[in-house]
Amino acid sequence: MALYVTAKTLDGQVFYTNEKIYMPIPQQLGRGQKMGRGPYEKSGLIHDSALPPRKTTKESFMIPVYTESEEHGKTIRTQIAQDFTVNVEIWYLPYGKKDDPGNAQKWFAVTKNMHLPADQK
Amino acid sequence: MKKICKQTLAALCLLGPFLLGTGQAEEQKPRTIAELVAKYDSSSCVDCHMNEYEQWHKSLHARSIFGPLEVGRTAATFITTIENGLKEWPYSGVNDPEDVGVKHLMVCAKCHLPQLQDAEDSVAKEIVQNLYAFAEDPYDEEIRDTLLSLNINCLVCHNRNAITHKWTDGYPDPKTVYGSKSGAHEDPLYPTMQESKIMGESILCGQCHGLGPNFELDNPTQCATLYGSHLFAYIPDGGTQTCQECHMRRSGLGHDMQAYRSPEMVKMALDIDVEANAFQWRDVNTMTPVANVLVEITNKAGHAIPDG
Ligand code: HEC
Ligand code: HEC
Ligand code: HEC
Ligand code: HEC
Ligand code: HEC
Repeated sequence: MALYVTAKTLDGQVFYTNEKIYMPIPQQLGRGQKMGRGPYEKSGLIHDSALPPRKTTKESFMIPVYTESEEHGKTIRTQIAQDFTVNVEIWYLPYGKKDDPGNAQKWFAVTKNMHLPADQK
Repeated sequence: MKKICKQTLAALCLLGPFLLGTGQAEEQKPRTIAELVAKYDSSSCVDCHMNEYEQWHKSLHARSIFGPLEVGRTAATFITTIENGLKEWPYSGVNDPEDVGVKHLMVCAKCHLPQLQDAEDSVAKEIVQNLYAFAEDPYDEEIRDTLLSLNINCLVCHNRNAITHKWTDGYPDPKTVYGSKSGAHEDPLYPTMQESKIMGESILCGQCHGLGPNFELDNPTQCATLYGSHLFAYIPDGGTQTCQECHMRRSGLGHDMQAYRSPEMVKMALDIDVEANAFQWRDVNTMTPVANVLVEITNKAGHAIPDG
């Protein structure tokens, strides 16, 4: 399971992406810090980010809508856009990849239109 | 004996009358795939339980050593288990695929084909031959049908695995179907019907849906662990529903037990809320234009999502 957050300008330029992966990471043969892959070598868990039942998992993303550059030793910020979109998608990826017709499932998608005040002091 | 031959049962329908006619097959352990299939022959059920049959046929239980139809992922992973597991492990006794016996395949078949436990090693060898033949030619219908004929069918749930506590409730009787009531049953091959104490309980499914490493094996495997999550996360948090309530009744899918591939289950899976706002954050002369996005995901299932 994966959560994707993407911010785009109105002409389609992506200026921010982030993702969170939700899955158990099984241990290899019940020893050490290496992930086990096939069921024949999985035993135990080394980490688990799967969504627990009956619980609400909260994720927060702070998206910078600017770029930074150096000019004469000074940091200059340039606002990317006043209007842009933020897209949030949740995918179920049984084999770990999105491009997998019939298996990968898009469970949820929403696009929000965002507006910022002008970049003036 | 009237029988409807469905694709996966076709081979069996040819052999069926011959094998079933001789009451001997029951005493002796099955020696071929066809004999194992005959021992748990569920082809008669379709005559009177058409709905259950058609629903079941769409589920992964109907292709439990094959996996999703287009992918055949489970069959492929059985081969990986032999190649990267059994053959590599110095004490497994397997140097060649021909060395694979029932005990080796049980590391997966415990849940993917529990009735293999009741068969001779020759059946394991025949399965392995078919798995490799499938890998070589995934479009060979005959091989596909052979692999598909081995599955978790009506008699696995309604007979073989219908009783977990055998000292308490007795051992499953080979002429009985287990369900929610007791009495006479119209199928001449299974003339009695008995109440199974667990047919509506999560433990029925828990037999195969996993707790963690399978410690009873000489080399434990771990695949599904979802029953563990149900017991140790869902129940402690106050959850009260059974597997059957969500997967068979609320979903309306009955015997077509499904997960993420079905829109019915997806609707029942998550509540999602997204809030977003954009603002100028000011620190003296520096402007910081940002957008904050908050995503809240609530898992409404009876276990973690996804399962390992
Ligand atoms: C000739 C028709 C016929 C055949 C064949 C048949 N059944 Fe049935 N079965 C029935 C009928 C009718 C009932 C309902 C009996 C009742 O409700 O009193 C029933 C009831 C059941 C029940 C109990 C249902 C409950 O409410 O709990 C189960 C389980 C069952 N059958 C399984 C099977 C299986 C498995 C097969 C194949 C091996 C099979 N049946 C073959 C007619 C048949
Ligand atoms: C404890 C029971 C159990 C054992 C042992 C087990 N499995 Fe599984 N396996 C399941 C269940 C149940 C599922 C489906 C549900 C799930 O994924 O939660 C599954 C799913 C799978 C899948 C994914 C199928 C898909 O949807 O593509 C593969 C592949 C697989 N198993 C292969 C194996 C192999 C190979 C072995 C032996 C090394 C094995 N399993 C051992 C119970 C088990
Ligand atoms: C994976 C296990 C499993 C398999 C396989 C399975 N059943 Fe069932 N069956 C159940 C359970 C569990 C119930 C009880 C459902 C409930 O509690 O609502 C049930 C209920 C029934 C009933 C009672 C009426 C109903 O539909 O609820 C009949 C009849 C039945 N099954 C027949 C069959 C037949 C025929 C097959 C094969 C085509 C089959 N079952 C395969 C688990 C299974
Ligand atoms: C005899 C073992 C066994 C029993 C009993 C059993 N299952 Fe399964 N189940 C499996 C296996 C094995 C698979 C996966 C088959 C594959 O894809 O290779 C599976 C698959 C599933 C899936 C589909 C998972 C997916 O990835 O789409 C669901 C849902 C499911 N089972 C629910 C149940 C429920 C509910 C019960 C009890 C009423 C139950 N099962 C009883 C072995 C079992
Ligand atoms: C409260 C309702 C509920 C209960 C109780 C419940 N499930 Fe589920 N289950 C779901 C939903 C919704 C999904 C779809 C989400 C998904 O595929 O992960 C699901 C998914 C699954 C899957 C696929 C897991 C995966 O990796 O995606 C299996 C297998 C399964 N359930 C089996 C069971 C078994 C066995 C039980 C009992 C021990 C059970 N479920 C109890 C609602 C429930």
